[in-house]
Amino acid sequence: MCHRWPPLAKLFAAIAMILAATCVPIAHGPLVGIVACVIFFAHTLARIPLAYVARRLLFFWPPLFLMAISLPLSQAGQKGWLMFMTILVRGTLSFSTALWLVNVMPFDQLLATLRRLRVPDVLLAILSLMYRFLFVLWDELDRMRTARAARLFRKPSLWATWRSAAHLLGRLLIRALDRADRIHGAMLARGWDGRSRWIEQPREDRP
Amino acid sequence: MTESTVTSESSAVRVERLSFRYPGGPDVLTDISFTIAPGEIIGLVGPSGAGKSTLLQHLNGLLPSQLPNFVGHVSNVPHVVIDNLPVARQTIAEVRRRVGFLFQDPDDQLFCPTVFEDVAFGPLNLGLSDDEARQRVRDSLASVGLAGYEPRSTLRLSLGERKRVCLAGVFACQPSVLALDEPFSSLDPRARRTLIGILKRFPGSQIIATHDLDVVVDLCHRVLLLDAGQLRAAGPTADILSNAALMERHGLEVPWRLRGEHTNG
Repeated sequence: MCHRWPPLAKLFAAIAMILAATCVPIAHGPLVGIVACVIFFAHTLARIPLAYVARRLLFFWPPLFLMAISLPLSQAGQKGWLMFMTILVRGTLSFSTALWLVNVMPFDQLLATLRRLRVPDVLLAILSLMYRFLFVLWDELDRMRTARAARLFRKPSLWATWRSAAHLLGRLLIRALDRADRIHGAMLARGWDGRSRWIEQPREDRP
Repeated sequence: MTESTVTSESSAVRVERLSFRYPGGPDVLTDISFTIAPGEIIGLVGPSGAGKSTLLQHLNGLLPSQLPNFVGHVSNVPHVVIDNLPVARQTIAEVRRRVGFLFQDPDDQLFCPTVFEDVAFGPLNLGLSDDEARQRVRDSLASVGLAGYEPRSTLRLSLGERKRVCLAGVFACQPSVLALDEPFSSLDPRARRTLIGILKRFPGSQIIATHDLDVVVDLCHRVLLLDAGQLRAAGPTADILSNAALMERHGLEVPWRLRGEHTNG
């Protein structure tokens, strides 16, 4: 049901949950528990499957863990471990909230809402282009990986795997730069002069 | 030849002695001259790497390093003239308004999250009011047969649909000349048919770079044959494309529809 809330309400709900998750001191166990429950409840309301959240958390935890583990290693005693726990809990809760937001809010609606809140144009342009071309680049990487696999007749050594992965990334970077060039050309061709212009889509056209 | 019968006053596009090379590279275009009459559809054919895309980009001033700074300066004679307007730094905005450019890969051209925003991009840059821009979006989407596609995400469209949205974005600027770079590549027959129909209804001039010679027979009044950066032949479509020796020489083939006696136009 969260899907049909007004866009501003969804955005502010997410900001409020993130603020709550990052401001409550970790030592106040019950309070943290309440915030976690609220976030969990929001996911339930939006009918986001728990397995979906868990799978994404699995990708998020390793880098978060690496970041957090540096603290108990550098700070002696209990203080280090407390900070470790703080980072893990806050990171997890904030990430879950962000997941909730992208699930209840289509990306163009999120951009439109941020624009109404007068977020700078450059930032919005970056977000919008990133969202658009992340998928295109991902497809390109996928095609290159498939092409490599098609001519890989035996299991490569670890060294060879890493080497070809590095080549692949290098190629992808060059392709991305070329594409950026062509996109710039396409923008110029339709009269772009460096300023973003934007109008709201007519309401009745929305599904 | 047809060129001489078209006076410079009535030309939609005039290219005069255009040569071009990328910095540090070999010549891509050498001494190219031709004109396009208003309403005329030109097929630009030639093997890959002949310089077709580069030539098209010149029509839209998309190679900024080569733009002359001041028109009329002795060393900066304008090489490309659109509707009597020489392509130069000061005229570039107006030139781009008049020439609509369709890129080969629609993913390069669809850079907004939704169809509506993408088609509205050109009109807004032209400085139209919000209402006018919305009207243009509606009209141009309808003209490519995609009415009601406004809220769709640009990520979830088929290739044919993406090409048509790109074309709607171009139409929304109401250009008088279309420059199309391989518009038919990788389209399935139905999408190809649809696109041909749309282009046939467009009232202005068109220059179409393509390998699809059957479409050229169907659509184009005249053909320019480009090879290794030089204009090797120009003339009525049937004359050029049915010349087996000429086609063979430049790595092309006489299209099926012009082989033998039976031609149905």
